[in-house]
Amino acid sequence: MRSPLPRRFSRRRFLAHGAAGAGAFATGFAAPAILRAADTWGDLVGRFVYDGPPPERPRLTVDKDVVHCGQYDIRDESLMVADDGGLSNVYVYCRERRLDLCPELEQSADEQALLDNRNCILVPHCLKIWHTEQDLFIRNSEPVAENVAFSPLGDRPANIVLPPPPAEGATATWRFGRPQRVPVPIVCNYHPWEIAYILPLDHPYVDISAADGTFRIEKLPVGRREFQVWQERPGYLITERWPRARFRVDVKPGVNNLGTIRIEPAAFEKG
Amino acid sequence: MARRPTTIETLAIAALALWLGGCGPADPPQFQLNTEGREPDSIGRSQREAILGALDRLYGTPDEPGVPRDVWLDLDRLRVAAGPTFGDEQGRRFGLYRGHCARCHGIGGDGAGPAARLLNPYPRDFRQGIFKYTRTASGAKPVREDLEQTLQFGVPGTAMPSFARLADDDRANLIEYVKYLSLRGETELFLLQVVVDEDEYLPLSRSMVLEDGVLPLAELWEGAADLVVTPPPPPPVATREQWLASVERGRAAYRNEAARCVDCHGPEGQGDGEEEEIHDDWNKPKAGMTASHTRELARRFTLPVQELRPRDFTTGILRSGDRADSLYWLTHIGIKGTPMPAAGPQPGVPGPLTPEEIWHVVHYIRHLAGQGKP
Ligand code: HEC
Ligand code: HEC
Repeated sequence: MRSPLPRRFSRRRFLAHGAAGAGAFATGFAAPAILRAADTWGDLVGRFVYDGPPPERPRLTVDKDVVHCGQYDIRDESLMVADDGGLSNVYVYCRERRLDLCPELEQSADEQALLDNRNCILVPHCLKIWHTEQDLFIRNSEPVAENVAFSPLGDRPANIVLPPPPAEGATATWRFGRPQRVPVPIVCNYHPWEIAYILPLDHPYVDISAADGTFRIEKLPVGRREFQVWQERPGYLITERWPRARFRVDVKPGVNNLGTIRIEPAAFEKG
Repeated sequence: MARRPTTIETLAIAALALWLGGCGPADPPQFQLNTEGREPDSIGRSQREAILGALDRLYGTPDEPGVPRDVWLDLDRLRVAAGPTFGDEQGRRFGLYRGHCARCHGIGGDGAGPAARLLNPYPRDFRQGIFKYTRTASGAKPVREDLEQTLQFGVPGTAMPSFARLADDDRANLIEYVKYLSLRGETELFLLQVVVDEDEYLPLSRSMVLEDGVLPLAELWEGAADLVVTPPPPPPVATREQWLASVERGRAAYRNEAARCVDCHGPEGQGDGEEEEIHDDWNKPKAGMTASHTRELARRFTLPVQELRPRDFTTGILRSGDRADSLYWLTHIGIKGTPMPAAGPQPGVPGPLTPEEIWHVVHYIRHLAGQGKP
């Protein structure tokens, strides 16, 4: 689907890139990301495990549109642990800006990231978006009107009403104007229990751990990189090993495996 | 353009201030760190210095404003609006902001001047860069005309007075200063996130602060003019029949379930919908803290929590004034910084009502408010 939003030309971004390109030229190197061989990219993989029994997920209070939403078993999603300890919804993302981007990633990126209002919750609960390549596509799949509101720091806040389908307004497309340093909460003003998170970045080097706790960040430029770790309960996921909720890896070509990363339950207690 | 006060003048004012027993030249007013929503002790000394130092280099002080490189703010205008209040021998007035606005909006634009505590709603805290009364697509910054309108007419039903009696040029100086406080405040929020929340290594890179914490924010202000929503011509309401027909269609659109107006404003527009505990963005963080935390609340926030009532249209006082186009914009775009959403179509977002329906709703609201009968 063609985006209804034209990509706006940013004078400053153009200047910044233009200057970087000119610099590379002057020192005799080719401009970044063009003449790169396959062995200059590496993947980062790992698996988060919750080091304790899986916590209870309390039922949430559903006190609006009860006739429709009351039929679902709606539960807290702020700490999701599989039976074998796999910890989902942990964000791992590269902290550096202005990284070389692997051209294959640009070609294969989906045009949109999808946020669905379904069964009276927001799906998925945690999203990432490469905002310079992708738009956020929001859909209401419910028979009741929905609202989606978020306020990214230093970017346009959104407060969108989505009437039930088949109204034209049951879908919307939104574009973020700048990257964020932490995921931004998405709420619904009509259904206070509905919450999701989105992390807009100007690069694709991010992943959110899956239901089994695994994550994979593909085709990172090799070299020393710093990563941020974030989970919605504590925010920055601070552990003994990562007192600033970040870690460094010297990314090598091929697969860089961090193995199993055990997180103490205490890491989620801080408010 | 107005010239800056000379050293002699500055000294004279300082001497006058001393003589009046005010603060001497040793302690001119400073911008205070924005600690809203935070435990003030959680910010380390070096973090505090890093943030205030970066802001000072970029934006100067309340007496000596500065403009970061590549930002469009007009320093000459800022200099007339900033600083202590005085007039020169040619009768020109300086220090307009402190003279007219600071008692409510605070020296640093925190919305917590000495008079603020007693007001409901509170004066705007400019530091979030969010303005309610605008004609730009939802989430976009206001354009100059929006701020000009606020200063011209004030905000009826609130303490915000009209400044129509000031010279046009002085209003323009003040608007520039509001934008300045706003941009500075947003850079400050960025720095708080990086330095305090993220615990970034110090010292900060200057180019990072400029490229991530200043220029993208300045761009949002620059781009606002491209996002102005243009209302179509209103349906004809010259005759009583046309007017009443439009009011009826407006009533129906207002009650359209997808638009949800009734949830907040009530079935008859009396501000008595089922939706409870509504807060604007400035008060929402306080609302999360329960009564048992009142001490913590007072440490973390300057002013107590204030609830926001959806407007009762039947009182006849509308904050957008009595202009139909302003009412149109607020309904189409929504009210920024509040849960009141956009009802009209915007780029990428079709919304629940068409522009034509919105005009009918506007006529319905004006009918309830006793405005605009032909
Ligand atoms: C007596 C107190 C008072 C004074 C003096 C005052 N204001 Fe306000 N101002 C308010 C209040 C209260 C509001 C909030 C109105 C609302 O939320 O609807 C406000 C809101 C505003 C807004 C925000 C409008 C928007 O779209 O959100 C601007 C801009 C503003 N004032 C500028 C000024 C300037 C500039 C001056 C000085 C020339 C000034 N004010 C003087 C009380 C005051
Ligand atoms: C989620 C609750 C909510 C919904 C839904 C809502 N409003 Fe509002 N509305 C508010 C609040 C709260 C205010 C007051 C904002 C303020 O003062 O800062 C307001 C203010 C207004 C105003 C400003 C009037 C003035 O004083 O100038 C208009 C007009 C308005 N609403 C129309 C509508 C219409 C029409 C709809 C439906 C299309 C609607 N609202 C839906 C909460 C809501």
